Amino acid sequence: MDNNILLEIKNVSKSFGTTQALKDISIQIRPGMIHSFLGRNGAGKSTIVNIIAGVYPQTTGEVFFEGKNIKNLNIFNRQELGIRLVPQHENSFVNLTVAENIFVGLLPKTKRGLVDWKAMNEIAKKELVDYGLDMDPTEMVRNLSSIDARKLNIIRAMHGGAKLIILDEPTTALTNRERDELFVFIRKLKEEGTAFIFISHYLGEVKELSEEITVLRDGGMYPVENPKAVTEDYLSSLVAGEEVQLIKRRYKTEYEDKDKLFECKHLTGVGLNDVSLDIYRGEILGIVGFPGSGAREMCRTLFGINKLVKGEILYVGKKLPIKSPKDAIRNGVAYISFDRHREGLTPQFTVNYNIGMSILHSKLKRPFGFINLKKEREVSEKYKEMLKIKCNSIDDPIGSLSGGNQQKVVVSRSLGSDPKLLILDEPTIGIDIKSREEIILAINDMTRSGMSVIYLTNDYEELLRVADRLIFFKDARIVARVDNKDLSIDRITEIRDQVKGEK
Amino acid sequence: MEAKKIKTKRNILNICMNNVVWILLVVSILIMGVFKSSFYSFGILSNILVQGTVLGMLAVAVSMVILLGDINLSTVGTAGFSALIGVMMMKKGLPIPLAIIVIPSVGGLVGLVNGLIVTKLKANALIETLAMNMVLQGSLLAVTNGNTISQLPDSYKYVSQGKIGIFPVLPIVLFVIFIIFYFIWNKTIFGRSLFAVGGNEHSAYIAGINIKAIKIGAFVISGLLSGLAGYLLSAYMGAVTSSFGKSYEMQCIAAAVVGGVSLTGGKGSILGVLGGTLLLTVIQVGLAILGIPSTMITLAGGLMIFVAVIIDASRSMYQAGK
Repeated sequence: MDNNILLEIKNVSKSFGTTQALKDISIQIRPGMIHSFLGRNGAGKSTIVNIIAGVYPQTTGEVFFEGKNIKNLNIFNRQELGIRLVPQHENSFVNLTVAENIFVGLLPKTKRGLVDWKAMNEIAKKELVDYGLDMDPTEMVRNLSSIDARKLNIIRAMHGGAKLIILDEPTTALTNRERDELFVFIRKLKEEGTAFIFISHYLGEVKELSEEITVLRDGGMYPVENPKAVTEDYLSSLVAGEEVQLIKRRYKTEYEDKDKLFECKHLTGVGLNDVSLDIYRGEILGIVGFPGSGAREMCRTLFGINKLVKGEILYVGKKLPIKSPKDAIRNGVAYISFDRHREGLTPQFTVNYNIGMSILHSKLKRPFGFINLKKEREVSEKYKEMLKIKCNSIDDPIGSLSGGNQQKVVVSRSLGSDPKLLILDEPTIGIDIKSREEIILAINDMTRSGMSVIYLTNDYEELLRVADRLIFFKDARIVARVDNKDLSIDRITEIRDQVKGEK
Repeated sequence: MEAKKIKTKRNILNICMNNVVWILLVVSILIMGVFKSSFYSFGILSNILVQGTVLGMLAVAVSMVILLGDINLSTVGTAGFSALIGVMMMKKGLPIPLAIIVIPSVGGLVGLVNGLIVTKLKANALIETLAMNMVLQGSLLAVTNGNTISQLPDSYKYVSQGKIGIFPVLPIVLFVIFIIFYFIWNKTIFGRSLFAVGGNEHSAYIAGINIKAIKIGAFVISGLLSGLAGYLLSAYMGAVTSSFGKSYEMQCIAAAVVGGVSLTGGKGSILGVLGGTLLLTVIQVGLAILGIPSTMITLAGGLMIFVAVIIDASRSMYQAGK
């Protein structure tokens, strides 16, 4: 075997139940190489990464690291070998200092067995300088900017002796300028011999940064020959594939006053400062904003999760008393959370019970507090058909479904209450392409019958396909409103970064 | 063909795993019968049902809160305290039917206090109900001064001691309660919401379920049932003692868990709770009949519950690993 191969993946496949998540993947990575995985949500990027890091085992195939089969090593053994995963969500300990974060797990000790704080801060300072970072090691991590927190995560990995660092979508909450800064940092480490696996669904940055690209689609592998020479169009067709027809919405262009359904006036609350906004019948209103910008906060305030301190929500001129999700649903507002497992699913329930949850007090109500079980099944069957939910029967436990089909159940639960306004918060995160398009199609159809939609996502390609108008959030306020006309992904990031107030 | 065989095999295993409590019940009844054939007499079997009634009601009471993923350690304290209040009011001249109504009402009130403290003040249910139990049992001890209140009127004791022909009345109460709770758990909005909140509180909240109301409701019903159990036990013993119902304290939790009510919440069946109740009662009564010295009964009973819990735990592991 070639001694110069750091990581070798040989014919790896993975299935979850009946779903095949990865099919026969073979990849080689050398030291000092940046290798990118490119693909849509649900294409298999996270799966392959989790297999490399040892989060779960492959079904078939082998993974070698420095020529050694690492099949029987768990995630911690692999970390010791030098495989470090830097997850998408920041996993720093925000209430510890920078130095403590770097040293966590291996704090230096004094002779008496106590933590040697002085030595720790000194070594940390030196490492930070070595990597070109101007940070105070005694600073609390929660006070760091998101770019510094990302870099700190990488330094943490380096400190642990990383030879291969896996960066799972490290750029999602960064402006273009911060992204460039991160890339400079990554390249510097690469020159010193560290290998990177870089994961992203933005074509441009992948092409810019990587020396090798593997496109993943539906669990299959499509290596890109000579990545510097290929065009973005070529990559994009490789990513999209031909099998799935992408839904493209016919945009709504006419806005008449009589179609104005919801008026939000001066909404003020946690992370939301004097936001006013009208929502028209049958429109899909796209929302752009970084975490903490007020985008998600508005969604959650409209649905009664976050408290509305000031301002009011009107429906055709009438004030809506929304103090809880229960009130919101009763008043025709539904919400689908970005966190399917925490706020979407009830794991002990069947598909049928999950779908029925939001309508127990309305459609399914019978005298003396009984549930109309027959009606419940009818509703579930209806949505099973409408959203093409794949299961043997609606009595299957929800856990036996794939992620995409679970999300369809969550969507069904919300649609079941016949909302006039549906708020979608990252509705397609972590699901396969086919399910995603089926969900988008169903929602698009519902807007024809008058339902309005608020659509918050970080996938701007998706947003461009579905949104009629876009609203940009920054610092708890709306800072730009744009019709979806002649927009591109680059234009969106441009407006977004502009309004973020970069000098 | 082969796959089909494996599938049927797995289905059979599944059915066994899900009904493990009933299998254990049959096995233990068979074993008892082998050692002592008189175990199968009508007297002893109906005695098991009588003995099981109070335990069964307390098991349902505690299950109401376990389904939420919480625990209620104050069921026995509530039972004793409620019975004490009712009996004292009766002795002071309150008509018997009213006294019988007062007892579960006091229980419900205790449950309401528990529920309010746990939901509104976000207190930890384990510690809160533990404290409540000590307060209630302490009050019972303080008021009775360690003495027993007895000489209760016959009509008060009828439900627990009376017979229709040769059939004791008490098991009828047990079955009526289980049937009512079968409907509540499986067919009502409240029951479904209860399982939803226990299964995933956040998801239930987003789905528009008023989780605080459901939790308070569960605690109130738990208290109500505890009070009712207190009435039945006081009527059965014909007295309120200062250590009222102590032996049921942990048994009712064991009965629920052995019956398949998951301590993490959101999972359980009323039939399972009935099975768990009967299993524990058979073990208790059976060991006494087999002539095991009374000093050994707690030990032997504990070991048998151990076996049941280990079987239950391996069932969970088996299902998780599937």
